[in-house]
Amino acid sequence: MATVVTAEHFSNLQLLLKAPSKDAVREVCVQSHQGPSRIFTENTAAKFNISPSQAAQLVESLHTLSRHVVFHNLTSPEQILALFPESFHSSLKNLITKILLENSATWRTEALSNQISLPQLKEMDWRVDLVTSSESVSRMAVPTCLLQLKDTRCRHDEAVSTVTMELSRESLDTMLDGLGRIRDQLSVVAGK
Amino acid sequence: SWEPLPHWDSARWCDLCEALCLQLVDIQWKLGMAVSSDTCRSLNCPYVMVMLKVADPSGQICQKSFEMTIPQFQNLHSHFKDIAAVMETV
Repeated sequence: MATVVTAEHFSNLQLLLKAPSKDAVREVCVQSHQGPSRIFTENTAAKFNISPSQAAQLVESLHTLSRHVVFHNLTSPEQILALFPESFHSSLKNLITKILLENSATWRTEALSNQISLPQLKEMDWRVDLVTSSESVSRMAVPTCLLQLKDTRCRHDEAVSTVTMELSRESLDTMLDGLGRIRDQLSVVAGK
Repeated sequence: SWEPLPHWDSARWCDLCEALCLQLVDIQWKLGMAVSSDTCRSLNCPYVMVMLKVADPSGQICQKSFEMTIPQFQNLHSHFKDIAAVMETV
């Protein structure tokens, strides 16, 4: 995934001067961040009255620029303006910078949500039962917990994996002990 | 591998759990900090990773790993404290 913005990318961005309006510039900047799509590229070509190949280059260049801004967490106008070559159209440079600043916080939040990770715990259901007898013991009163955990491959994945298990009092105590240690470590880290 | 089970239905779930008889035997955990990624150079995002080991009646062990954000972990911890409180009273 390229995050280096080249002179050729900035050259392609000058195609934005053919936009019918500032809103059209804003729309293509925001859409391009999501990545190329044939339909979006064709619509851009028609709207800007440029060729499909030019539209594809424009979208790819905007995509590279916006990903660069998110990757390096550029949050000030000065940081973004400094990326542009000196000869770049001044008003267009300011407009692109303004649009990137308007959207970069949202894009960063989306990027954080879409990190690779282990399955994410989505849901937890539980029930406590009292086991009153079994084939080996006629009378007893043993609490046990039935626990169902659901997780997804990633935060936006709809496919859910489910596991169901039984916890004895001892295994619950072990679980609580472990979770307590995690909580204590989090407090130590937070305090630093 | 983990097979997906039908949607939670109290009576049926009980039957299935009895059939499965998976017992939690071990929990391992790790607290980490995501430092950087391909989309964000500077992340500084804490996470909790948990691995649960469960055993079936034959003794075969399976493991399940998952990750949580800190709020998700706090919610999980709260659930388990609720379970413990209920098990104290029954």
